[in-house]
Amino acid sequence: MSLVDNTMMQNLTRALDLTALRQRVVSENIANIDTPGYKTRDIDFAAEFRRALSQDESDAAAVPVQVRTLRGLEERPDGNNVSIDRESLLMAQNQLQFQTGVAVLRSEFNRLQLAISGGSNS
Amino acid sequence: MNLFGLFQVSGSALAAERLRAEVVTSNLANSESTRTPEGGPYRRKMAVFESRTSSPFQLLMASTGSTNSGLDSSGGVRVSQVVEDQAPAIRKYDPGHPDADASGYVEYPDINPVQEVVDLMGAQRAYELNASAISAAKQMIQQSIQILR
Repeated sequence: MSLVDNTMMQNLTRALDLTALRQRVVSENIANIDTPGYKTRDIDFAAEFRRALSQDESDAAAVPVQVRTLRGLEERPDGNNVSIDRESLLMAQNQLQFQTGVAVLRSEFNRLQLAISGGSNS
Repeated sequence: MNLFGLFQVSGSALAAERLRAEVVTSNLANSESTRTPEGGPYRRKMAVFESRTSSPFQLLMASTGSTNSGLDSSGGVRVSQVVEDQAPAIRKYDPGHPDADASGYVEYPDINPVQEVVDLMGAQRAYELNASAISAAKQMIQQSIQILR
């Protein structure tokens, strides 16, 4: 078993990648808040992450992450259906999710550091 | 996934919203202008927004991290054109005015200050929202750097 490139690290990396991509989609939604006819887009994080876990790392690049257009949101007269509240909340949630991932990754590296230094504080 | 691409997306929106605010303030400033270089009274202008969101293919490339094929130049929003309102001018009777026509009427632009101020507030709020999206992206990048420490 590799200490650095283990399953947990790989999964964490995938989760962080997916979170970063979702942040981009949310940013695009916010950028287009005044564009007539623009429709909100989003990534189904849970489904995409589950799919990323189920497949081998070698062909992970082969399956695209699906960005879908969201339905059921209230549409303004100009055909735009971006909701400020939804996007702001999603942005905050996404940010915290990213922070959590980074914290777990850091603690993993710290543990590794601890093993390398033989338990002494370095 | 390149986190720096988020700046391009939100930055384009900041530029577009600022241009919109400039157009609106120009409308407010010229609400009494009876003379323009093109002739006739000032006409109300409007900024038209156009989405430049990345295609699913570009997002796929971004998700695999294999390349940043054109992603830096796309995404976000831009002002595609600034159009002029074609509404007829308001005619006021003022024979002493230098721009009065033969029958003594002066043409003033048809600008509703209330409508313009509401538009200005909308641009301001959208600007703030995008600015907070930028600080969110900045924080995420700083957190990633924390892994190295």
